[in-house]
Amino acid sequence: MLEAKNITIRFGGLTAVNNVSMQVRPGQITALIGPNGAGKTTLFNCISGVYVPNEGEVILDGEHLEGKMGYKINAAGISRTYQVINLFWNMTVLENVLVGMHSRLTATFWDSLFHTKKKREEEKQIVEKAHEWLKFVGLDEYANDRAGSLSYGKQRLLEIVRGLASEPKVILLDEPAAGMNTTEKAELDVLLQRILKMGYTILVVEHDMKLIMNISDYIYVLCQGSLLAEGTPAEIQNNPDVIAAYLGGDE
Amino acid sequence: MNNTLSTKKKLPIGIAVAVVVLALPFILQLIAGNDYSVMICCIILVYVIAVSGLDILFGYSGQISLGHAAFFVIGAYTSGLLNNYFNTPLWLTIPAGALLATGIGALLAWPASKLKFHFLSLATVAFGEIVYYFLYVSPKIGDSSIGFTNDYMGINVINIPFLDNYTKWYFFLLFFVVIFLLAKQSLIHSRTGRAFMAIRENTHAANGMGVNVRKNKIIAFAVSAFYTGFAGAVYVHLIRYIAPATAQQKQSVLFLTMLLFGGTGSLVGPIIGVIFIELLLELIRPLQEYQMLLYGILLLIVIVALPGGLYGGVKDAIVSLKRRKETAKLAKSDQ
Repeated sequence: MLEAKNITIRFGGLTAVNNVSMQVRPGQITALIGPNGAGKTTLFNCISGVYVPNEGEVILDGEHLEGKMGYKINAAGISRTYQVINLFWNMTVLENVLVGMHSRLTATFWDSLFHTKKKREEEKQIVEKAHEWLKFVGLDEYANDRAGSLSYGKQRLLEIVRGLASEPKVILLDEPAAGMNTTEKAELDVLLQRILKMGYTILVVEHDMKLIMNISDYIYVLCQGSLLAEGTPAEIQNNPDVIAAYLGGDE
Repeated sequence: MNNTLSTKKKLPIGIAVAVVVLALPFILQLIAGNDYSVMICCIILVYVIAVSGLDILFGYSGQISLGHAAFFVIGAYTSGLLNNYFNTPLWLTIPAGALLATGIGALLAWPASKLKFHFLSLATVAFGEIVYYFLYVSPKIGDSSIGFTNDYMGINVINIPFLDNYTKWYFFLLFFVVIFLLAKQSLIHSRTGRAFMAIRENTHAANGMGVNVRKNKIIAFAVSAFYTGFAGAVYVHLIRYIAPATAQQKQSVLFLTMLLFGGTGSLVGPIIGVIFIELLLELIRPLQEYQMLLYGILLLIVIVALPGGLYGGVKDAIVSLKRRKETAKLAKSDQ
């Protein structure tokens, strides 16, 4: 479904991601793990259009996406969350979800300016839908609050649901569990399963090994910019290279 | 977006405001006995359109412009020149002025949309100066010894029966203020408006959520220029005088002061700011040389003490008052 082929990106003399290929299969949770500085987020940014890879291809259902602007990649069906939360702080929780729907809306600038029937009907529809999304993650009671006033864990949830609002083919989650406590992590586990059940496909970068081994269908391990291993959670857990990279990497 | 006042309270307040606004010119004429105070109201209405336009760009989209007076002047000169040289009727000169300002605004935004913060403000300052200088050394027309604008330009009066006194002007302008503010509200609460705010809040995330940042910045510039250009085009017919110097910093800073003082990113903020500052300027008319000093002081007050402007300050006060009442109620029911 989503395929990254031989991706390489360099910053000056440093090769951050070196010839990495990976595949995201529909209806699964694919995980990307690796020690700090392995290039996970950089690879994410290549896929979502923040960086343009020096070499390689990104293909979603046969459509080439490498080098396209972020907003076009979103329209093509890849949505994402960020490692550092990037909400629209001074907009309401509801408005954040509405912005997430941007690329799926059809009202033009002129519809917006002249308050046409098309715009009014679409607005009514999407506000309803946005409330449904908020109910889905239990944030509906905060719909009219400033996004910045939410607690940290709730901000993470809002970011996920803002990404889902564009009904993407693949949603990229960049460390969704970062900064969450144990209860929140358990809830996240359940939430990801529910998202999967709705028919979405997930690619996740995460540090929390326990969570990853629980939720993932397939795992790619990055180390110093290169692909170290890939396989099911059971295979990865028993892979000597991976164990060396995580535990004995210094020797 | 905000729930400071319940809808139940909003309706009577709205009706009261509408009555006052509609009766204002008649009341003023009764009290003052002349048209001058009505003319001040007319200028206020013109500025409300101009500053609301600036609000779309600065308040909602987060793109600063320190050269907005240039759009005002482009609208004014286009309208005035068409009037003087071609005797074009008002209903053509005004849209022509507004549309030229829009086109130039979009052209300016083409490169300027790549700039951020102080680089953008410098570019807009330069734009204002360019427009000023262009008008100041304007090319000659025919065998006249001076350029088409000279130092200032008076407007030939074409007899317009439905605008022959300031009270009529007042209602003419009020009509457009209502239309422009309705359009602004509609735009803000739409796909485009939310894209503007997303760009203001976080350009990076806006792009990731499917917002074409560059295109929407250009739209914001163009819409904003249309509002301010329209205001200028009407202004020149109202005052019948315009000078190139209006394109300079002073007028741009006036618009920005009005916006910041009233409160950015709201419907009411620009209106409050324009009324307050314009009346203040009338009061200190003898001290005109110190206008810039006044703007500076007002801006300082706002930035230090009232980051949300007058409107934001009042809103916060109402919210905290409500909260205090509620806690008092809770405390009582506890006893």
